[in-house]
Amino acid sequence: MLFNSLQFAFFLPVIFLLYWYATRQSVRLQNYLMLAASYFFYACWDYRFLGLLIFSTLLDYFTAIQMANSTRQNQKRFWFWLSIAINLGFLGVFKYYNFFAASFADGLSLLGLKANPATLQVILPVGISFYTFHGLSYVIDIYNNKIKPERNFVDYALFVSFFPLLVAGPIERATHLLPQIQQPRVFDYTKAVDGLRQILWGLFKKVVIADNCAVIANAVFDGSANYPGSAHVIGAVFFAFQIYCDFSGYSDIAIGTARLFGIELLRNFSYPYFSRNIAEFWRRWHISLSSWFRDYLYIPLGGSKGSTWRKIRNVFIIFIVSGFWHGANWTFIVWGLLNALFIIPSVIARTNRNNLDVAASGKTFPSFGELASMIGTFGLTVFAWIFFRAESLGHAGRYLAKIFSRSIFDQPNLQKTDVLLTTSFFILCLVLLEWRGRANQHALADVGTKWRRPVRWVFYYGLLMAICVFAGSNQQFIYFQF
Amino acid sequence: MKKFLFHIGCFVLPLLVLAYPADLVLSKYLKQSHPYSDEYSVWNAIYEGKLNAEILVYGSSTAWVQVNPQSIADSLHRRVYNLGMDGHNFQLQYLRHKQVLKYNPPPKLIIQTLDALTLQRRPDLFNQDQFLPYMLFNKDLKNATANYKGYKPVDFQVPLVRYYGKQKAIRTAAELTLPTIGEPPVRVLGFQAQNKVWNNDLSAARNLMEKYTVQMDSASIQLFDHYLQECREKHLQLVFHYSPEFIVGQRFISNREDVIALYEKFSRKYGIPFYNYSTDPLTRDRDNYYNGLHLNKQGASKLTSKLIHDLQQEVSLNRCFN
Repeated sequence: MLFNSLQFAFFLPVIFLLYWYATRQSVRLQNYLMLAASYFFYACWDYRFLGLLIFSTLLDYFTAIQMANSTRQNQKRFWFWLSIAINLGFLGVFKYYNFFAASFADGLSLLGLKANPATLQVILPVGISFYTFHGLSYVIDIYNNKIKPERNFVDYALFVSFFPLLVAGPIERATHLLPQIQQPRVFDYTKAVDGLRQILWGLFKKVVIADNCAVIANAVFDGSANYPGSAHVIGAVFFAFQIYCDFSGYSDIAIGTARLFGIELLRNFSYPYFSRNIAEFWRRWHISLSSWFRDYLYIPLGGSKGSTWRKIRNVFIIFIVSGFWHGANWTFIVWGLLNALFIIPSVIARTNRNNLDVAASGKTFPSFGELASMIGTFGLTVFAWIFFRAESLGHAGRYLAKIFSRSIFDQPNLQKTDVLLTTSFFILCLVLLEWRGRANQHALADVGTKWRRPVRWVFYYGLLMAICVFAGSNQQFIYFQF
Repeated sequence: MKKFLFHIGCFVLPLLVLAYPADLVLSKYLKQSHPYSDEYSVWNAIYEGKLNAEILVYGSSTAWVQVNPQSIADSLHRRVYNLGMDGHNFQLQYLRHKQVLKYNPPPKLIIQTLDALTLQRRPDLFNQDQFLPYMLFNKDLKNATANYKGYKPVDFQVPLVRYYGKQKAIRTAAELTLPTIGEPPVRVLGFQAQNKVWNNDLSAARNLMEKYTVQMDSASIQLFDHYLQECREKHLQLVFHYSPEFIVGQRFISNREDVIALYEKFSRKYGIPFYNYSTDPLTRDRDNYYNGLHLNKQGASKLTSKLIHDLQQEVSLNRCFN
């Protein structure tokens, strides 16, 4: 069940009304309802993997209690590593087995040896990387005595499976979400309206911008040989907007949906393309994953403490792992490596903690320097996205060769001019609206207080109309494959 | 909570109220356009009961581009309309037949154009936008297209839903609301001659595969049988006409003889005249074709003349017009 599907348009109001009318007397009932709704939501994807989700939930629920009950450190450590091993084992089998098997065979062939490792015909269970990371953060926090285990299975299961975040995040922390699940929720008109506004904005980004950008980006990436370098630049830029609007659109819908139920999820994006350097970009892009890696990998490795070499090592590790988290392909690893290379100069120069505020804070327009640094940062991310989108390293190489060829000065000759023009117009609208609202949680957050109702509603109707008329051909959310 | 639901209601109400009229307006203007092989002009004639024909030509693109109804009309002095449906096999040709009988007086004669693919099923709903203006609350269309990848039941039941993301259709309809002169229809009496020369479709197909084997669909065969029975019960006279492929194209289809044998079987079972021009000299001249399956304007003219000649010879036809 996609967020941008008709099924979801029926599912959400039904659950909303049941939640606030039929079960509002009891938080326990509300949680039962939400858990059932979440499992139904997941089963709509593929009911066969519901068992895996429930098993993963039971595993972390059980091992967390066992850790808390352990009287000896060895015992606690056993339960901790058991959980980690099984969680990562699932990820390894479903997501990485074929990659490792093929890479092993490739490695042996380089040495002149031949191996035919068995590959598995496995389907990647949707959301496995996300709910596994939910569980891992919970187990690690219990092990580190940061939180106490949740004894109520329904509450814990809802923390893992809450449907707005189940298949593509934001990756929540038990410290943030579990207390909200345990406490009674009160309907808040302002939050609910803002949630709807965020859903509308997320839908616009996904359906109008991302899905139409995909038409151009796919045409260029899939038919690279037919286009000159100039079209490759356009294809890469459109992919940059596609992935941003696809994923941040999903996150907006997820966060907005959760707000309808009185639950606040972690923020996942904060206008990343207005970043003035790569370090800032990574504080603003997929925030819940970046902060997860920061807290559970980077800091335990020593973080930015210690020698320069240690810092550089830690940066490389975190970005390689982050790349690998996205998918079992060398392209993602190179994408991670590139980002590490981009960020290392600022780590060495200790400028990575600069630019903590929004760009041109308190001003309408950025200075020339800010604008130049934003464009430069955007250029670097677009360069890295080419590896992220390419099918293989060879594909990425050929793509870049086209960009750095003389044909960059040729006419792009893209066939779908109408899609190109309308999407460019909507990208411009996106940039202007996001720039306008860059100090807020989401681009339309202050619309409710700053715009009069008639203006506001005309704007909402306009967005709805754009969604209905200019919806691109239905594309899966990119991050579902991770 | 009440305030929230009230505001949602106020916001949604105009959308609900306007959805149906907007759907009507959009559909009205879209019907006046001519994309998708100008299928709208044929659907309009059917649904508005304006076919006004004694002879109807059924079939796929092999009917649409090859059988000139005006020539037949001039020679036989009967009103003729070509209902050839681009890209669609018998399943949807039958839908057209049903709609014809529902909204128009029955024809006296049906020229059923057959080709190798008539009884093969295709999974996709080719040119699916051609159905857009006629879909709302249309059960016949819903049932006929239910087994195809394309529309969902809700598209037939809720106004405007089917127009979601249909940029091209919406833009076309919007353009037609402007006071400009619309483009003239490309089909005349449902027919559109193709003024084209030989292209490389056949060699491209042969590069992909050595031979093409038609996959006969049992449901389509059953439906075809049912249709013939129905025509007999309703006293609708039929003639079969097998579309003549270019001789090289004939060899490309591995089980072509089996397909024709099946049509002959139906012809014998129901006593329907069967005109098969597969060995006619026109199949040996590539100048008559623009690809292996379709005659161009010149070929269509020759074929129509042969068809007229054979129809004039057909004794049983005189009975059906008297």
